[in-house]
Amino acid sequence: MEDLKHIVLLFVGILVAFTVVMTMVAYTVLAERRILGFIQGRLGPNRVGPGGFLQPIADLLKFIFKEDIVPDKSTRFVYFLAPTIATTAALMTIVVYPFGPEIHLPLIDKTIQLVVARFDVALLYVLGVTSVGVYGIALAGWSSNNKYSLMGGLRSSAQMISYELALGLALIGVILQSGTLDLYSIVEQQSGHLGISGWNMILAQPLGFIVYLIAAIAETNRVPFDLPEAETELVAGFHTEYSAMKFALFFLAEYVNMFTVSMLATTLFLGGWNGPFVHQLPALGVFYFLGKVVLFLFFYIWLRGTLPRFRFDQLMNFGWKFLVPLALINIVFTATLQWSGAFDFFAKFLKTSTGWGG
Amino acid sequence: MLALLFILFAGMAIGCAISMVAQRNPLYGAISLIGVFISLACLYVTLAAPFIAAVQVIVYAGAIMVLVVFVIMLLNVEEEERRPLRLRALVPIAIGLAAVLFAEAAFIIFFVQASPSTPTRNISDVGLTASIGSGLFTSYLLPFEVTSILLLMAVVGAMTLARRGGLLPANVGVVPGYQSFSREVLNPMATPDLTRVEARTSREAEELLGVADAPHVSLDE
Repeated sequence: MEDLKHIVLLFVGILVAFTVVMTMVAYTVLAERRILGFIQGRLGPNRVGPGGFLQPIADLLKFIFKEDIVPDKSTRFVYFLAPTIATTAALMTIVVYPFGPEIHLPLIDKTIQLVVARFDVALLYVLGVTSVGVYGIALAGWSSNNKYSLMGGLRSSAQMISYELALGLALIGVILQSGTLDLYSIVEQQSGHLGISGWNMILAQPLGFIVYLIAAIAETNRVPFDLPEAETELVAGFHTEYSAMKFALFFLAEYVNMFTVSMLATTLFLGGWNGPFVHQLPALGVFYFLGKVVLFLFFYIWLRGTLPRFRFDQLMNFGWKFLVPLALINIVFTATLQWSGAFDFFAKFLKTSTGWGG
Repeated sequence: MLALLFILFAGMAIGCAISMVAQRNPLYGAISLIGVFISLACLYVTLAAPFIAAVQVIVYAGAIMVLVVFVIMLLNVEEEERRPLRLRALVPIAIGLAAVLFAEAAFIIFFVQASPSTPTRNISDVGLTASIGSGLFTSYLLPFEVTSILLLMAVVGAMTLARRGGLLPANVGVVPGYQSFSREVLNPMATPDLTRVEARTSREAEELLGVADAPHVSLDE
């Protein structure tokens, strides 16, 4: 009985997390179009519903009813498999992020942590699943039987392998500092004064944060690193030959990836659900968490409206000759601080001077 | 519950492995191999070794197989045709070896399982990240470092093999007279650098290109 209850609770958790993320992803697309419109001095979609509020639903219906075209000489099986892999890999990481602190649910009289799956190697799980996501794009490019698609697929695999390295190295600083791979405890460790002063970004990882942010943009194939789908050179890159719902899946995967990358940044560097008055009112944590994620999403959109695209050799040089060494420096720096006991001293200082949140 | 998961993932692993060997399209083979790695990772999770599972996915499915797929895509390897088996004489030997393997497995299942297994100390923290990390950097430090040096040697070896001889083959001939190169041609490591480098005679050009001592038919005379 207890087992069954546990499983039901797990599925409910997955459903809730999935719904929240999907809704926010849908409205990220709308927000992107409106904000880009604002940046570029035009209106953006504002006809469907008040202020264009129902636009995501209209888009979804359009994707569903479009004709599904499969290129004549494509490799059928792989052509269908690729968008599935991309979307699945993007959605799989949602379960490990802590959306909020422990909350007492009055309805079933149980105190639960707002994280679907809490386990020892959550961070490695995120990295592993993300690295599998590369196949979606690479295989899509290969199976379409189109030179632009192939170029896009090759570019994206090269780019994602290169930047995965910088991304992983940037995370090592945080791991060194917190001594665990469990995302929930990493967030718990970041509560300081008012739930703000303990953030890893402020405490010791400004360099790691910057490296992570840049590498994450490259990992999600966004401007200024959107070479896999550079429309001025490659038509639409790896998804040139995809239409209707299969294209929608790639689109979805890209935005979910954006979302999960922002969630990871929030969790590791911006203190997750920590913020003022969270200890008195735990439900506030969820809003802090999602608010920080939205900030990141806005940053992404802002970049897209502002920056031009990199050239491919610039991209590779930047990744290997600048970001990776920077991440290595960050590791040495963090390890030295950790070894000399600076973090412990700082943490003690934060603990003894109690604030509202600490 | 665990048994069900084991059957599911073990079945997936075996199915993918058979498909990997049987596929004629190399890319399908690679995809099947990825399937094997991922189902093995799931099996590791059911065996309470989450760290190994994560590393399995990151290293094998995420890095090595991406390179394999990358190479298959770059070379555009075609489907291979079915050819008559070479070394047909080895088939009975292979069958014999397979029979031995199965016999071994059956022996272990029916006779060894009953004997009491020796419990590891601190069974709860085996396979967790912290215990693996402390193990690697204390009791197994030497093997760990030796392995990393081995990998480093492989990297250095690959670099030297790839770099040897530069951009041009050794028996290249040089056009007589005045000529100019972009620096990019002379040094492949200089990324898009179109600065002009001049050579007044073919001798000078040969020196610039690093083919001066190569035995070749000179066009000067």
